[in-house]
Amino acid sequence: MNDSDKKIYRAKVVNDYVLGKMNRRTFLRNASALGLGAGVLGTGMVRPFRSFADSQSPLEPSADVLAWVKDVSGPFAGTTLRLATESTPPSNAINSLLKHFFEEASGINVEIEVLPLEQVLQKLTLDIASQLGTYDLYYIDQSWAASVSRDVFDPREQIAANPDLAMPDYDTDDFLTALVNGISLYEDRWVGVPYDIPIFIMQYRKDIWDELGFGAPETLEQYYEQAKAITDTMGPEVYGATGQMKSGHYSLECDWTAWLWGHGGSIFGPDNRFAGNDEAGLAAMEYWDRLHATMPPGVTSWTWDGQGQSVAQGVAASMMSWGEFFPYFDDPNATKVSGLMEAARCPKPKALRTLAETGFGEIPGVGHQGGSSLAVSRNSKSPDAAWIFMQWATCYDTQVLITALGGGTGPTRESVYDDPRIIANNRVGAGTTRHLNVVRETIAKDMGSEPDLPQWAELSNDTIPVRLGKYFAGEYASAKEAMDDIAQATDKIVSG
Amino acid sequence: MKLGVLSADRPLVWMLPLVAMLVAFTIIPLIYNIWLSFHEYAPFRRRLEYVGFENWRMLFSDSRMWEALGTTMFYFTVVLLVELVLGMAIALLLDAEEFGFGFLRSILTLTLVVPPAIVGMMYLLIEDAEFGVLTYVLEIFGILDKTTPILATGSLALWGVMLADIWQWTPFMVLIFLAGLRSLPSEPYEAAMLDGASAFMTFRRITLPLLSKVIAVATLIRGIDIFRMFDYVFVMTSGGPGTATYTLSLYSWQQTFSFIKWGYGATLSLFTLVIILVIANLFIALAKVRW
Repeated sequence: MNDSDKKIYRAKVVNDYVLGKMNRRTFLRNASALGLGAGVLGTGMVRPFRSFADSQSPLEPSADVLAWVKDVSGPFAGTTLRLATESTPPSNAINSLLKHFFEEASGINVEIEVLPLEQVLQKLTLDIASQLGTYDLYYIDQSWAASVSRDVFDPREQIAANPDLAMPDYDTDDFLTALVNGISLYEDRWVGVPYDIPIFIMQYRKDIWDELGFGAPETLEQYYEQAKAITDTMGPEVYGATGQMKSGHYSLECDWTAWLWGHGGSIFGPDNRFAGNDEAGLAAMEYWDRLHATMPPGVTSWTWDGQGQSVAQGVAASMMSWGEFFPYFDDPNATKVSGLMEAARCPKPKALRTLAETGFGEIPGVGHQGGSSLAVSRNSKSPDAAWIFMQWATCYDTQVLITALGGGTGPTRESVYDDPRIIANNRVGAGTTRHLNVVRETIAKDMGSEPDLPQWAELSNDTIPVRLGKYFAGEYASAKEAMDDIAQATDKIVSG
Repeated sequence: MKLGVLSADRPLVWMLPLVAMLVAFTIIPLIYNIWLSFHEYAPFRRRLEYVGFENWRMLFSDSRMWEALGTTMFYFTVVLLVELVLGMAIALLLDAEEFGFGFLRSILTLTLVVPPAIVGMMYLLIEDAEFGVLTYVLEIFGILDKTTPILATGSLALWGVMLADIWQWTPFMVLIFLAGLRSLPSEPYEAAMLDGASAFMTFRRITLPLLSKVIAVATLIRGIDIFRMFDYVFVMTSGGPGTATYTLSLYSWQQTFSFIKWGYGATLSLFTLVIILVIANLFIALAKVRW
């Protein structure tokens, strides 16, 4: 069996086991033959967290949870709920694999529209402005939280206002505190609960790194040197780094913030004025320019999709980007790099500003997070039914299933990371969870969150990425000129 | 049989369904758009507020709008001209009863049934610096290399977008011109042949004048369409790099739906409508189009 076939077979074996199509004995026999250690089962790490969760449990919703859904949904049977969401692993898993369990138990129909992020915002803003209540639940990217904070229910208020509809053990304290603060909290309100957490981690080709005698990059400067060495020795077939640098696209702003924060800069200063044009901001641009030279030429026309593809197709050897890509890279049927990638925390920042040194609640950190919340709309005609669905969709049990079945997305609940079913997926293959320890550590130690202000949607989707795009297209004489232009435009928009 | 109000001499009654649809889907939205242009949505108060002429004042002082208008006009001019010339050239070539030409004519419709957003996605891949076949071909001929990504280079991006438009819609021009060419009388051509006129002279003096109405209609339809172009830039460049491919449509969509500036978005779309009306009527007058 050649290496590629072995990887495909290995992934199939593990998938069969995880999906309950293969018993433990057969799996262990196969795993041993394929050279997989006991670690693939997480046998050294497993600790039962909840009574209904162990690695032998079938990947179906908990009977207790469904019984609760059935119990409280009686009055709402026949209701139809609508949600417009971005195509993210949680939404896709709920829509294609899990929704029917909820519908059968509750008698409530759920229509989920999976759309590009821009169109989700369009639907959401239309719904808010018209107050028609077309959508009962809102998928809220963290950059919109401030804008829509008054248009959704605070889940804590919902629990307090209607204890009869509150799911037992829903436990809002289980949501990772850093995510609540970075994604769902605006002023003193929860704008829904954390729903998904794409976050920047370092993903690199272990085989190439090993071949060149490199360890995982520990500092940004070391990362640059490694990327440059790879491009110099292996280019143009393989480039050391890649990026999401499409002009005018939100992804470019995301890329920028990682370098900015990593160099001790911030988007806003404590006076709430743009600070990306200060000394640290310009140092970040100088670094980014150098790193850009190690990337494939097409990088300035790619969003995160192109960036992920460049790694998946073996054109680029590393990226500091969304951890959600990692399970896809391990899919032997979809990429050329299955089993070759390794996840690590982002390189250490050169310096890091504190919350007090920034504006609008911005939290600097090299692990840029792009999480989103799920919330019940205040315009919903069936807010109680929507609240039941929301609790089900974001409860511990459903998150485990989303993570296990939905492609190894990062859970937003602390407890899910320790679930045996999640640990059992810690192996090479599609939907792996072998990067989740890195994700968890990044959330706790490196997470960077964008500022919260109503104008942020415009700033992050237009003002900043359009001008950064101009910079990389050579339309500014210098980084200073570009940053000063961004500063001027940003301050004008913020001051109204 | 007595038809009463449905008799043939009462055309207004027969037109009522169409008029009702026109009122519901065109007139009322237009009036609402005009009303909206004097208001702005206040997100924190969750209501539309009267702002007078503020949106219109902002429109004329908005440098991004003027830039987008310039890009739109340039795109409009180049794409329309290329599609006209190329469409006519291909139509003249295909206007013959050669073997296989019937098949060629029938497959011309294929590009027209593909949604523009899909064509945008296709060209996004075709023009990709790393994987794109166009970049590959241009590199072979030494015209361009990977370090100059078409869609990420300010001076090239708009041309890259135009290519998608021209590929998709030139066959539309070809079909219209072909239909026109096939309906032309043969006598003037026979006379020209007897007089010894060259092919170019025949085309300039006979074909073009006889086809003028067809050309005018095709130009008008495509011109309006090109001016409103949105899909290609949305999919391929998001208006970038920088603002190099921002068209008026993309800009007004962004203001309306991304930044929740309903009033300003409405003002931009009304302004676009006015420009289209002015250009279309100027063209109708200059080209002496008679309906």
